[in-house]
Amino acid sequence: MPTASAGLTKASDPISEFFAVLAESGHLATFEGQSATLRFDVADGAEVERWHLAVSNGDVTVTREDGAADAIVRADRPHFEAIVTGRLNAQAAMLRGLLVCEGSMAACIMFQRCLPGPPGSTGRVAPITGATVMSQRRPE
Amino acid sequence: MSDALVQILEGNTFVVSDDCGDIEASLTDPTGLFSFDTRFLSRWVLTVNGKRLTALSTDDLQYFETRFFLVPGTGTVYVDSKLSVIRQREVADGFHEELRVLNHENEPVTLEIRIDAASDFADLFEVKDALKKKGRYRAQAVDGTLVLGYQRETYGRETRISSTAEAVIDENGLAFGITVPPHGEWRTDLDVVVMSGSYDGSTPSLVAGRLQVRRDMARGLEKWLRRAPRLECDWEPLESIYRRCLTDLAALRFSTLTMPGRSLPAAGLPWFMTIFGRDSIFTSLQSLPFTSELAATTLLALAERQGTRIDDFRDEDPGRIPHEMRYGELTAFEERPHSPYYGTADATPLYVVLLDEYERWTGDAKLVRDLEHAARAALNWIDEYADLQGNGYVSYQRRNEKTGLENQCWKDSWDSISYRDGDLPGFPRATCELQGYAYDAKVRGARLARQVWKDPALADRLEKEAADLKRRFNRDFWVEEGEYFAVALDIDGRQVDSLTSNNGHLLWSGIVDKTKARALARHLLGPRLFSGWGVRTLAEGEARYNPIGYHVGTVWPFDNSFIAWGLRRYGFKEEAARIVAGILQAAEVFDGRLPEAFGGYQRASTMYPVRYPTACSPQAWSTGAPLLLLRVALGLEPHGDNLVVDPAMPKWLGNLQLLDVPGRWKQVDAFGRGRVDTDRSR
Repeated sequence: MPTASAGLTKASDPISEFFAVLAESGHLATFEGQSATLRFDVADGAEVERWHLAVSNGDVTVTREDGAADAIVRADRPHFEAIVTGRLNAQAAMLRGLLVCEGSMAACIMFQRCLPGPPGSTGRVAPITGATVMSQRRPE
Repeated sequence: MSDALVQILEGNTFVVSDDCGDIEASLTDPTGLFSFDTRFLSRWVLTVNGKRLTALSTDDLQYFETRFFLVPGTGTVYVDSKLSVIRQREVADGFHEELRVLNHENEPVTLEIRIDAASDFADLFEVKDALKKKGRYRAQAVDGTLVLGYQRETYGRETRISSTAEAVIDENGLAFGITVPPHGEWRTDLDVVVMSGSYDGSTPSLVAGRLQVRRDMARGLEKWLRRAPRLECDWEPLESIYRRCLTDLAALRFSTLTMPGRSLPAAGLPWFMTIFGRDSIFTSLQSLPFTSELAATTLLALAERQGTRIDDFRDEDPGRIPHEMRYGELTAFEERPHSPYYGTADATPLYVVLLDEYERWTGDAKLVRDLEHAARAALNWIDEYADLQGNGYVSYQRRNEKTGLENQCWKDSWDSISYRDGDLPGFPRATCELQGYAYDAKVRGARLARQVWKDPALADRLEKEAADLKRRFNRDFWVEEGEYFAVALDIDGRQVDSLTSNNGHLLWSGIVDKTKARALARHLLGPRLFSGWGVRTLAEGEARYNPIGYHVGTVWPFDNSFIAWGLRRYGFKEEAARIVAGILQAAEVFDGRLPEAFGGYQRASTMYPVRYPTACSPQAWSTGAPLLLLRVALGLEPHGDNLVVDPAMPKWLGNLQLLDVPGRWKQVDAFGRGRVDTDRSR
């Protein structure tokens, strides 16, 4: 079986980088209590690149195998790049048909837990004073 | 178009039509075939020889099935017809319509039957606005099927219409030139199927694989009713109210794509047939003594979508429980944040409350262990992400200032949180009931940590934090001169000092010091808050009070059911019974189906409760209200492996029996007799 690092290290490729980080961690708390396998078929022109992700109670293994999985996730490379860098929401991509999920929907929903949020999201916003709220009064 | 709209649904697929079965969508008539928050048919009109039909009768056979009896002619005078038309429609993955034309004459008759079909593929969010669509429409006949399509980039949606009888298909519909023999019948089966599209050209059915599940659920309605505890009562209306609630709750069941065999309560029918964190949790709490399945599925489904990252557009944080999930075009293009949207400050603590209450009823420790991570993440959210002001209180402020929700508590309208003088506070807002829920989540989380997760250190910490929160809350939120709790603290730590029904939720969560509870009970049943039917959302005398204002004076049955539970918790049995009395009597007036809210007018002045007009009926947490009130009236409380029954009921209910109440005690019968004189409120 190829090791996790084999073939995952192409520099400045966000998809390879994303899977390399997953593989390196070996364990993700957000997957604890969950087990599933997913295969990602990423189309780059005529070529299809594959990653295989196995989750076993939080333990994560990534390979480039072309094996069976609970869910097959298909997308074009530019869109999948946007998804793994947080620039495109996976659920929205699915509704737009940019991401196609076959097999276990539960596995797909589990996977999206490890995706990053949009770049620039800070979790913070400036407070609004009562005076400002009162000045924006809406029709009764 | 007739005023009477007919609704049938299964899951999040539903049809709203006129009483002939026709669909002619307009801004004022939001009719159509809807699925996954998208309208797939905006026109579906049947004509015979170019003329519309008239409805003789409409039978709602099931919540997923209707039959329309029609005759030709649209005149006001009924003419003895030689022809009748029967449409029987069943919601499936789209819908199935059996169309029969009956000839009552001794001669054969030749007719031109036509069905006009079209779709605007509107997002539910667009239905009431005249938004201009950005994609392209198409309509074409392909191999005997009329395909209506909409394409915006890779986002594709299709409606496919086919017929068992041969039809002449054009882009506006299907036509049948038929001859019906004397006293004979012509029939065709029409199938309308909804599809989605994708970047590689594949077009999966949106609801594939769910058909069988729906059939099972439909067959399961009788089983569902049989499995629920049996109710008998001297006050006869209660039995029909109870049956109405159980049937409506069955119709409100909703399956997610990830758990096709299980169901959770959606928020309201038909426009809110989706996961709503808050509504699904409250409804699950209300229905626990009657069925635990809804709670279990709600807990699992919300854990699947629990927040894991910082996303300002969706107001998402790690551990946060989602507010609302949608599947339409605006969500797909990230023009709306509902994929899912997380802007709710109460669903996360309430999640832990539901998990604990579920275990107390069912003894299902396995689910509590399976959801340990989700519950810990929710508890962590309260301290780590919800304390926006760093003052130890849960507050909310949307980060998505364009399409996010301003008020992230259950009173979510713009003017719901106000000072006595009507001014509105700034943001963040720390509303009082959120502190109650957070307190309860910590207390209950501690119990689960000690007994199920075997983590006494966490339990100790949570108990200490809960005690500290309670102490601070009773100091900072207490309005000394009025003897009640302020509805919120503003950004300066000043009390938002209006008197509201939120005080009842505080009793429910247990955060209220015993010494302060009697004053709250007095307010809740006093003339400013209590209308005679129930507790108003905002007290009479406050500047924004309006008896028909959404959250500023109306009476909400759901709100009242939790207030009554809170009163019982602090031992105010008689006061709780008065709320039970008012809401059940209102339920009788509404034929068992309580609206979301009704007017806060004094009961003596209007005789009947005045319905607040809302789009959804039944509403899940209104449907659950009588169920929770039954629990309160009988004083049902799990105590270890036993169910304690301690009735305190209105006298006029007489004898009440609830047989085979399910739980960790297997099944227990509960009996009560009305002894509380509640008539003074009538």
